[in-house]
Amino acid sequence: MKQHRAGALHPVWAAVLLLLPVIVGFAALCIGRISYPLTEIWDVIAAKFTGAEADKQMTIVIWSIRVPRVLLAMLVGAGLSVAGCAFQSLFANPLATPDTLGVASGTSFGAALALLIGMNLLGVQGIAFAFGILAVTLTWLSAAGKGKGLSSVVLGGIMIGSLFSSLVSLVKFTADTETQLPAITYWLMGSLAGAGFEPLRWGAPFILGGILVLFLLRWQLNILPLGEDEARSLGSNIRALRAVTILCATAVTASSVAMCGQVGWVGLLIPHICRMAFGNDHRTLIPACVSLGAVFLVIVDTLARTISAAEIPISVLTAIIGAPFFIVLMRKSGGWRL
Amino acid sequence: MTLEIREGSFGYGSRQVLDKVSLTAEPGDLIAILGPNGAGKTTMLRCMLGFLHWKSGDSLLNGRSVRSIPARELWKTIAYVPQARNFNSAASAEQTVLLGRNAHIGLFSQPKQKDLDHVHALLDRLHIAHLAEKSCAEMSGGELQMVLIARALAADPKILVLDEPESNLDFRNQLIVLETMSALTQEGITAIFNTHYPDHALRRANKALLLHRGGHALFGETHSIVTEAHIREAFEVRTVIGEIETDERIYRSILPLELAGESAEIPPDVNRIATVSVILPDDAQAMQVNEILHAYSHYLVGRMGLPYRRAGVHIINITLDAPQSEITALTEKLARLPGCSVKATYAVHDA
Repeated sequence: MKQHRAGALHPVWAAVLLLLPVIVGFAALCIGRISYPLTEIWDVIAAKFTGAEADKQMTIVIWSIRVPRVLLAMLVGAGLSVAGCAFQSLFANPLATPDTLGVASGTSFGAALALLIGMNLLGVQGIAFAFGILAVTLTWLSAAGKGKGLSSVVLGGIMIGSLFSSLVSLVKFTADTETQLPAITYWLMGSLAGAGFEPLRWGAPFILGGILVLFLLRWQLNILPLGEDEARSLGSNIRALRAVTILCATAVTASSVAMCGQVGWVGLLIPHICRMAFGNDHRTLIPACVSLGAVFLVIVDTLARTISAAEIPISVLTAIIGAPFFIVLMRKSGGWRL
Repeated sequence: MTLEIREGSFGYGSRQVLDKVSLTAEPGDLIAILGPNGAGKTTMLRCMLGFLHWKSGDSLLNGRSVRSIPARELWKTIAYVPQARNFNSAASAEQTVLLGRNAHIGLFSQPKQKDLDHVHALLDRLHIAHLAEKSCAEMSGGELQMVLIARALAADPKILVLDEPESNLDFRNQLIVLETMSALTQEGITAIFNTHYPDHALRRANKALLLHRGGHALFGETHSIVTEAHIREAFEVRTVIGEIETDERIYRSILPLELAGESAEIPPDVNRIATVSVILPDDAQAMQVNEILHAYSHYLVGRMGLPYRRAGVHIINITLDAPQSEITALTEKLARLPGCSVKATYAVHDA
């Protein structure tokens, strides 16, 4: 009998998706205001583990600045892509983004509030994360109830999202225009400049955990876009599956936004690129989103910190690079369908 | 596996939709659920499968309440085929049918090679192997319906529940779907389907459930449920069940005639105009006809006899203005003459 292997990734593609983030990651470590060859990067990293002596300045640049920054870019890129992909399937809507339920607006408000009262970086991260979770909880409560479908959850998300956006404006309005307002504005535009091992230690588990659970559930995610009766008749506990999906995507997004502000576009762009390239089976889609999301954000962030003397806000670049690339791909592949 | 609905009642708010509906499905049964729009056919299926809760009564699978059976166990026994027109997915047929294996696949597991082989065996069996790579979004209604049936069968169910499987399909695809259902019941699977076509129930189903607006329902052998009188009551349509003959066999078929309004009710004592045509095998019988007609002379409008000697037959046309009951009595008397052909044609009734 003919061997069928539906949904299984071709080994060549699997290898590419596995190696690409590693290659791009190391390349990003080399590039910067001071460029280093790969061998020296390797020596510095190896020295960290073996305890050997290495150049002090290089250790600071690479180990304390570039390594956490590249790791953060990978985590956030992978996380937002997977979260966006899960939400598009959950709502059976190609326009869904990780922010559909208002998490990014809530997180932004939390961050703005924390900056207003002058908290340190970790404090901002914690408050922002908490408000992100709060926003989604409010969305969920506003739409919960008998007979309410997923579309009322989306509507609730839009309402809660705009509520928190207004609150952000209110905070900006009351902020001191000399110091606080620029800080809030820059934070909202998104930047990975604040990357460090300390914020990562608090933020990364939420992103990694969310990605891991969604990755393990990747076969079940294929059931997400189906109607409720249909999904139940396939033996799936669709309500629990939806709740877990929302929980994971929210944890990922809230943690990402709390660490580096609003990084727009990744959650829409990468999942659709992956759908066009690999189809709609989540068994390949989720790994592809993780890999390409990480690669994309590392590239964008490396450009953000190298192409001009002043750092360019990351959201600006994701759109400038992503939008044309997306349009070209869409025209070439004849579009996509959920 | 026996699925039993015991006096199930359901309503939306104060509106009663199903009132003490009972049904028993044994292995090999092909059961049609019939009823006018809004009588609760889809509600019936959703209650039956536990998607909606009965207000009273219960669905029992081998005597166990459906709602008490764990989901994964239940959906290995029963499979559901939703209406194809509500299905919207760009997944390929192979991917879609593979989803049907879900009840056999653990929460964090992936489908195995054997699941995939199972899917391809099914696609072969339903003659849709050529659709394996095709996206559901690009399929015709008939193709999609077969894919959805394949997905349901992928779970190896004992009972198949289909929501309007043959609506929106052309004749050929309707027959493919109906043939598939019949073939499955031959293998011992129970199939229960909602349909808008009493004809399909008449020709395929061994049992039928006829739902009425207001919740009352009839269940039993198809021939005792799908009758002109019952259909008239449930659909408010006058129908005639006739037989259509081919070289091989006779098919029973139901033909809708007109809306059964008040005006269509003709009391038996109202006079109607009718022509009774008679063809007799020999002239001698013409005398017998005359004798019979004697009793009806005051209803006669006209009479015409035409002996056609070369063919050895005698043709008589009788026109009457008489109560329905008298006309029927006359034709029955004439029909008893040996070798006699009789038919009454009525003028269209204007009340």
